[in-house]
Amino acid sequence: MKIVVAMRQIADLVEELEVDASGADIDREFVKFVSNEWDEAALEEALCLKEAHGGEVVVVGVDDVDFDQTLFGALAKGADRAVKLSCGFEGWMPTAVRAEILARWLKDEAFDLVLTGVQAADDLDGQLAGVLGARLGLPHAAVVVGLEPDGEGFKVTQELGGGVTLTSHATGPLVLGIQAARQAPRYVPISRIRQAMSAGGIEEVEVEAPPARAPRVTRLFAPEAKGRAEMLGDKPSEVAARILELIRAKGVGVS
Amino acid sequence: MLLAVVETRKIFGGTTHLERVFFYLLALVVLVVFFVGLGLRVKKYMAGRPLDAGRFRRARVPLEKPGVSAPIPLTQTGVDIAANRTVSRRNHAVGGAHLLLFWGFLGLLAATIIVGLDYDVYGNLTRIFGGKELSFFKGWFYLAYNAVFDTAGLAAIVGAVLLAVRRIRDSKSSVELDYTRAQKPKSGYSRAAMTAGDHLFIFGLIFILATGILLQGLRIDAAGFPSFERWTWLGYLVAAGFGALGLHGSTAVTAHFWLWWVHILTALAFVAYLPFSKALHMISAPANLMVRDPGNTRRLPPPPPGHAGYLDFSDFTSKELLGFDACTKCGRCHSVCPARTGGAPLSPRDLILDLRQYADRKRGIPMVLDWEERPDQSGPKNLEGRLAGEVIEPATLWSCTTCMACVEICPVGIEHVPTIVSLRRSLVDAGEMDPTLQAALENIATQGNSFGKSSRMRARWTKGLEAPIPDARKEEVEYLWFLGDFASFDERLQEISRMLARVLTSNGISFGILYEDERNAGNDVRRAGEEGLFEMLVEKNMEAFSKASFQKIFTTDPHSFNTLRNEYPAYGLDKPVMHYSELLASLISQGRVSLSGLGKKVTYHDPCYLGRYNRVFDAPRSVITSAGCDLVEMPRNRTNSFCCGAGGGRIWMDDSVLEERPSHNRIREAAELDVGYFVVACPKDYAMFSDAVKSTGNEGRMKVVDIVELFAEASGELALAGSAPEEAPES
Repeated sequence: MKIVVAMRQIADLVEELEVDASGADIDREFVKFVSNEWDEAALEEALCLKEAHGGEVVVVGVDDVDFDQTLFGALAKGADRAVKLSCGFEGWMPTAVRAEILARWLKDEAFDLVLTGVQAADDLDGQLAGVLGARLGLPHAAVVVGLEPDGEGFKVTQELGGGVTLTSHATGPLVLGIQAARQAPRYVPISRIRQAMSAGGIEEVEVEAPPARAPRVTRLFAPEAKGRAEMLGDKPSEVAARILELIRAKGVGVS
Repeated sequence: MLLAVVETRKIFGGTTHLERVFFYLLALVVLVVFFVGLGLRVKKYMAGRPLDAGRFRRARVPLEKPGVSAPIPLTQTGVDIAANRTVSRRNHAVGGAHLLLFWGFLGLLAATIIVGLDYDVYGNLTRIFGGKELSFFKGWFYLAYNAVFDTAGLAAIVGAVLLAVRRIRDSKSSVELDYTRAQKPKSGYSRAAMTAGDHLFIFGLIFILATGILLQGLRIDAAGFPSFERWTWLGYLVAAGFGALGLHGSTAVTAHFWLWWVHILTALAFVAYLPFSKALHMISAPANLMVRDPGNTRRLPPPPPGHAGYLDFSDFTSKELLGFDACTKCGRCHSVCPARTGGAPLSPRDLILDLRQYADRKRGIPMVLDWEERPDQSGPKNLEGRLAGEVIEPATLWSCTTCMACVEICPVGIEHVPTIVSLRRSLVDAGEMDPTLQAALENIATQGNSFGKSSRMRARWTKGLEAPIPDARKEEVEYLWFLGDFASFDERLQEISRMLARVLTSNGISFGILYEDERNAGNDVRRAGEEGLFEMLVEKNMEAFSKASFQKIFTTDPHSFNTLRNEYPAYGLDKPVMHYSELLASLISQGRVSLSGLGKKVTYHDPCYLGRYNRVFDAPRSVITSAGCDLVEMPRNRTNSFCCGAGGGRIWMDDSVLEERPSHNRIREAAELDVGYFVVACPKDYAMFSDAVKSTGNEGRMKVVDIVELFAEASGELALAGSAPEEAPES
């Protein structure tokens, strides 16, 4: 089984993000970029599948800021190949563009599964798996929380919300947006990352950046503060009284 | 014919030639067993990894601190062994009894060697080469010999009886003597054989000593009380006792004959038993004390070459294997361990016993009793399983706070903490850890702090200070202040950091900070077993130091203090490192500040990494007493301080499985003292104990304060923290 994991870098949300002078992007100058946590879940699921059923894990992504770190981390965790797609793109990359770049590389690759994170901080709608699947003409699914080989294909479990899950059977190749792996992403010790770094092994591939067939961001805003949390005090009796008072005031039917 | 009286005695107690042959053949067999046993153990040590500067010795690094990390001179170790200082520590009764037995036994050993030299060596040599068997075991030498070694015999038996009485009397009540495991194997276990081994050892020893003294009495009685035997004073007294009981003449001769064989056979059996039992500690304990290395825990050893942590028997160093064999199960580590006290599945004693049993089984070395039995092949019987994870449970390894109380009190110089960390490294390498620890390590790897805050926010606490703190990267300062994560990011501690900054500024101290370039110093990262991340942090901090100009470093955090002071020199740091308590104490001793009496009744908690690790005991106390506080010492103070439970990465792990958190135990101890203030000199302590005071219901009775709060209040310039901060902390 050959599994491709598409990963991407996002601005570390512990940083104080600021809107840059253009007003249409975050200020990328001093921000740290880290691996998207859902992509890490996709990688974990791929590694678990490989460990359980054998196969090969190939990690691929566009050459974002500090992407090498993520690739070395993936190699240290047990990925077999790491591929960095250079395209000379600057600034924020729309998901449609990212999907197009990935698709251009993937069309020459043989694979059974493409896994990616269900969403990212800059792809909150979780478009990547869907757009990429459509672009490659392959079956795709999002919010995947369970994945097992099943005969010729795969048994795919998706979370539908409200505690409802949907399990379906699909024959590959598939493109899946992973919500959660079967286990939390593993820790990779720094010494192993450093070993991976000294071993090198990142394949660099030039891919021509496609014309951006995507909406253009015209302006970014910092989130507006809306109201504040009210602390209800320490004493349980007072807290209970206050909750009752609030429920009555807000009009929930208690009589 | 007149015969001159020659003061001597017959050596061999048998009568026939056959008996003589039997004795010597048996003695030969016993010596072969003894030396084969010892040889097997030495071969085991040699199968371990040598240290870098010698099999049992580590290369030194610059800036060793005498009394902290510097090697202990062999002369001092000699005195420690001779005086049983490590045994007497914190327990003079047991130490005194052990000292009697120690010197008594050594005396009797010398007595036996002297007789052997005379009878077997000198006698035979003179017979073979001179034609006539000679002896020096006569005359004044004989008299002095008996007078001296009877005293040794009495000392040994008194010591042995006292120790036996203590062992029986306290077997139920003493935590030290309770062999219940801290980590309970699912399959069950039995340590009855260990207890039997203890009893065999001490009662066997008493039996051999007692029969030796009785023999003297019977011999003198049978010989009709020659007057020169009064020098054999103990034997003479016993003989007088036999006489009074009416035991005389041929009855005494017969009794002597049989008792002689009983004594000789048990003594020979003891020699053969020694390398396979608890008695081995007579050799292994002094040997281990000679190779002990205080630097070893303060400055952790690097991983074995080629892999991250300990995986197999061959990863243990020769020194560690010797240490496992030195353990006497005295239980002092078991009693002081905060993890064991709190109900965690770790006892340093059990860990060492498990590892010893594992190592012996791996090498096929048998033990007479003294082994734990299990119905299955788990734990130390699991010779094929993973060393860290199966032989020793992960939960056991993760329970250690690295407080070093075990290393400190171990009478035989075992260094538990470096072994625990070496085993943890294998767990980290396999990614096996608490999710909260994983998150902390990931935060430290990406942002350089365990709080998961942006590294750019590190100096955010300085906002609100009237005088900005100099940037040591931009201007030259005398002191570089290294805060550590808690003092930088924890909101409760930021206020104390600001207070320290104000105190130092108003006293004209030239100091600066590294702003966003400071990284977690890595002390606890290293002790959690993440060596690679530790090295990365060292590189980042060393790079930041190289950009700054300063003469000395002082830290807020005792943990950072330890690694900067003891571990960073190996990576090139050549500046003196102090703790802020020392800086405050020096301001007082130089008379640069006058403090008014606060008249508060306080107690002080010695942080592990400041006190036990680095022997800074007096500086914080001088701040407290100079501020006019009445210092009531904790029952467990200085080197015996009890850990708050946060060290060694424990602060990033889940404590909810504990029956009693160490910090709660400590606050309950302080609550007995009837003091209003619990003074700390460590940011982690401040956080841990503030929580513990609340959750033990001591809020309102006791307040946790930092020494700088006392200093500031007593210097009259600043209000005691706890009043409203001058500016609300940034959210």
